[in-house]
Amino acid sequence: MGLSAVDNVSEELQICIFDLRRGQYEGQELDKILFFFPVDSPFSVQLSVIGLSEGLITFTRIFSPEASCEVIEADKHSHVFYEAEPDIWTVMIVMKDKELEAVWRTEALRKVLKEIHSLFKMFHGSIRSLLEREPDGRLIRSSLFSFIMDYLKDFLVGKKLHLPSFRDSLQERGTVQMLTVGREAAIEVQSLVKTIEASAGVPTCYSLILFQDLLVSSTLHPEDTINLFTYAILRLSPHAMSPGVRSWSYLRKGSGATHPTVGTVSTSSSSISDVYGSLSTSGTDRNSTFRPLQSGKWARGKDPFLTTDIWGLEDGASSSRTPTAWLQEEKMYLCAYQHKSLTLILLLPVSSISNGEQGITAVKHQVLENASVKILKVEEKLSKGWGGENAYHVAGYRYLLVDGDRHASRASPPGKVTTLTKESLLALNTLREQVDLEKNRAKWDDPHKETNLEVSIRAKNNAWVIARLARGKELYMVLEKANETLLYASDAVEKFSNKYCNGAFSLD
Amino acid sequence: MSAEELSSSASSSSDETLERDPSFKSAEGGGVDERLGSVRLEDEGDVEESRSDRVEDRGGEAVVESNGHGGDEGECGEESLVVETEVGDASGDLGSGVGGDGAVVERDAGEGDGDDGGDVPVLKTAEVVGSEVVGEGSRPGLEVGSEWRRNRTRSNSEIEMDDEQSPSSSGYAGERGSSNGAASSASDINEIVEDDEIREVGDVDGANGGIDSQSDWVPGKRHADEDDASISWRKRKKHFFILSNSGKPIYSRHGDEHKLAGFSATLQAIVSFVENGGDRLNLVRAGKHQVIFLVKGPIYLVCISCTEEPYESLKGQLELIYGQMILILTKSVNRCFERNAKFDMTPLLGGTDIVFSSLIHSFSWNPATFLHAYTCLPLAYATRQAAGAILQDVADSGVLFAILMCRHKVISLVGAQKASLHPDDMLLLANFVMSSESFRTSESFSPICLPRYNPMAFLYAYVNFLDADSYLMLLTTSSDAFYHLKDCRIRIETVLLKSNVLSEVQRSLLDGGMHVEDLPTDPSLKNRTLSPRVGHDSQGTFRESAAGIGGPSGLWHFIYRSIYLDQYVSSEFSSCLRSPRQQKRLYRAYQKLFASMHDKGIGPHKTQFRRDENYVLLCWVTPDFELYAAFDPLADKGQAIKTCNRVCQWVKDVENEIFLLGASPFSW
Repeated sequence: MGLSAVDNVSEELQICIFDLRRGQYEGQELDKILFFFPVDSPFSVQLSVIGLSEGLITFTRIFSPEASCEVIEADKHSHVFYEAEPDIWTVMIVMKDKELEAVWRTEALRKVLKEIHSLFKMFHGSIRSLLEREPDGRLIRSSLFSFIMDYLKDFLVGKKLHLPSFRDSLQERGTVQMLTVGREAAIEVQSLVKTIEASAGVPTCYSLILFQDLLVSSTLHPEDTINLFTYAILRLSPHAMSPGVRSWSYLRKGSGATHPTVGTVSTSSSSISDVYGSLSTSGTDRNSTFRPLQSGKWARGKDPFLTTDIWGLEDGASSSRTPTAWLQEEKMYLCAYQHKSLTLILLLPVSSISNGEQGITAVKHQVLENASVKILKVEEKLSKGWGGENAYHVAGYRYLLVDGDRHASRASPPGKVTTLTKESLLALNTLREQVDLEKNRAKWDDPHKETNLEVSIRAKNNAWVIARLARGKELYMVLEKANETLLYASDAVEKFSNKYCNGAFSLD
Repeated sequence: MSAEELSSSASSSSDETLERDPSFKSAEGGGVDERLGSVRLEDEGDVEESRSDRVEDRGGEAVVESNGHGGDEGECGEESLVVETEVGDASGDLGSGVGGDGAVVERDAGEGDGDDGGDVPVLKTAEVVGSEVVGEGSRPGLEVGSEWRRNRTRSNSEIEMDDEQSPSSSGYAGERGSSNGAASSASDINEIVEDDEIREVGDVDGANGGIDSQSDWVPGKRHADEDDASISWRKRKKHFFILSNSGKPIYSRHGDEHKLAGFSATLQAIVSFVENGGDRLNLVRAGKHQVIFLVKGPIYLVCISCTEEPYESLKGQLELIYGQMILILTKSVNRCFERNAKFDMTPLLGGTDIVFSSLIHSFSWNPATFLHAYTCLPLAYATRQAAGAILQDVADSGVLFAILMCRHKVISLVGAQKASLHPDDMLLLANFVMSSESFRTSESFSPICLPRYNPMAFLYAYVNFLDADSYLMLLTTSSDAFYHLKDCRIRIETVLLKSNVLSEVQRSLLDGGMHVEDLPTDPSLKNRTLSPRVGHDSQGTFRESAAGIGGPSGLWHFIYRSIYLDQYVSSEFSSCLRSPRQQKRLYRAYQKLFASMHDKGIGPHKTQFRRDENYVLLCWVTPDFELYAAFDPLADKGQAIKTCNRVCQWVKDVENEIFLLGASPFSW
């Protein structure tokens, strides 16, 4: 499946990335544009989008210098803004269509933009740094193009791009989903982590362990944890690597990733390759085209570590280069090891491995030697305690629990959420939109103050739609078969809070 | 209304547009610098002829103060004379067309209009007018009425030098010059009063501390010396703009419209840019700021706000501002833009700053602005009946609506058969009358348009203040009804005095309405009358032990809206909500609750419970009523629910006193 498959489907979505510092002079406005989707949009359309965006960014700064334009709502479209880096803006324009269920929550769409940028930055470095490296913009354009097109393919369902809509109100992008483990298992995981990091033999070494699509342990910075976790779910976890196996993770909604077709990027018109440069993977300049999000590119290698040729081949050899990623401004080697449902990601600073690929091979060998028994043991233990994809289902409740401090979330399994009526989900979507606004507002008023809020709404269809914010945690809930009294609904929340949230939302 | 009258009124409305046009054309033709002051008044006479003295005054005022607006009009004068003949000719051609148009409009207004019209007795004796003017020359308002009528009887080409006319006649004396001269002094006061409306960085919460209470509020133009380059202007919490689709400023809440021309053009550019893309812009959000756009034909309305009000509320406020503009000008002002896209509307609205600023002020204290319902002054059933009976008498004699109000509350109102009055129209009309000082000093007869009733046509409102707070409004379709309405008013006033209605009204004002502290604690002790202050013992009420904590179960306040009556009742603020700042915050919380309950796509919801650091809010929407109640943030949920039930029972028990019941005209 070439990237053009994504182009063709989407008249209802536009994404634009532009740099306000470029194209300052009249006639050079096109130079601002670093990425535009759909790629074959006429330049007039592209210029009109950045014209409006830039105009409103400037206009809103008159009144709100501290935060310029975040969203434009028009009758037919929503424009969602995200300033990814200073003066580098990403804008997503979605068409509204009630019939087609195109009802969005702004913050959910913004998190998509944020995720694109965070992942891009993790593999390519910041957009600004790429622009500085090649001021003519060819490098950044081709990198963004292949990266975002690969990313969007995951949203492709049939011939349609499914962005997070009101149906996804019980999910929170940009958080990790944790596996709950017993005390004994936790100790073993802890011991495994220590063994791995000790046997790597370098001063700093980080690890991330996943079981299925859930996070077990991470020694990374929270931001890096989220990014790497997201990437692992998209491309490295057993689900991501086994075509045809249904994943329950919302990150892997589309079918694109499960039917990978290795192919070169085809572009639909010559003007696109003019702007974005040559996108062929067989190009000589491997840096300009490497596609970390290309699907189907990871496989189990000869050693139990996963391999990919995304980062190219070793000079003069047939083996692949070890992938690298930028974590907290430091370039790291990324080694992923998989045993059954357990995925282990090891991160080693490039600077501390003196002899490149050889050094990496040595470290891998060392880790395997010391830790493989522990890995088997931990996998076995976690498998035994694992309750399956409905493990976190709570009968009678449809919920989303977000722990802001730990950047973690837990929710009813998507399969259970689909039993909710459209009305309930729309009501929840609206309530979340209101809560988002209040949270953002509170953040402007006093960044250190916690928002405490309790809202219970009985919707027209008699479902209770509930939002609770307390002690840095958020709980969203839909109770469809609840008794009609408010007290009953409150009681249900109280019970849930006591049983599953350590009483975080309980009154006392 | 006879066919003849119908056609004459229709053609008069067409005249109005036709006559205004020349001035618009001239405004386009000449620069602001061209001034032909001498012809100005003639022009005004023409332009405003069918619109009453009001606008004439405005022109005068503009000239008195400066050559600012006046210049524009003046320059129109000469040209309008020329154009007028063309128009006259054209009206021959257009006459049928436009007249027909007008007639259609009349029909559009509903059968009610037509039917009622038939009953309107028309006073036509010019002599009477003259003698009245002489006889009551000391009452400028009357003079206005008569003057105005005289104008109406003149032919289009007949022009009168009116500059000696009493300035207060228009009902605009109070705000005379407010857009310029008076504004500078007013703005000094405002600076003090509203200074804290400028957000202090880092002290956002401190803003608005105790400023916006009704009593503290100073009417009129805000900060006329500012423009978009001023930091203080940029930091104002809430801006409202009206502009034309060619980018000409029409109104700005803060700052001088003329200095904001560039800013206005920017707003216009943003709106049309999106429109050119086949879409319509509604909202832009940036941090705490929202920019809300509302397009009404050739008129663009924009609100820029960093208050926490939801989009739906702010959009509703723009709708009301537009409605207020229509109330003053009718929607036929659109035709001016059809003829001349660059038409400058500011002169037409000159002097009405105070009406808009008062409306905008009401957005932060008057629940009617978002509930779309009106509220009544609490009165004994018999007292309201007595007032209703005499109003009904009058209505039967050809008055379309007879409304007796006390401040913003209705004492009684009656409409002719099948005519119904929308609560938003009542709000706008009351605001118009209450904000214009001169209505208080004289009886007035003024053309007004009820946007929800018929946005295209003028009605005529006879307004008279019976005392400092209570006023009577008699609305008719007939432009000649002044003396008839004056007679009606005299009859009504006599009856009201005889039956002590006005003194009861004053007493009710002193007593206030429902006090949460009086909420009966024992449902079996039915508290059938409202006011324990007046001859009722406080047994079974919460008052005695309630000092400082509000009503039972921590109840602080409530609003009850009856769906089928289109009325609401709001309790008095309990002692926990004494400061204006607390009251405004609660008002805003209700506003948000209302918007959240009435979501367009999925609402209305049935119940909402909300607890934040400030309140517990409970909202309950049923097909019959809506209840909004505010409690102490620590209130017990179960107790709060019980208390809400008791409030509903209490309201039902005293509904005879707090609502206007069985008002026959309301047949919806």
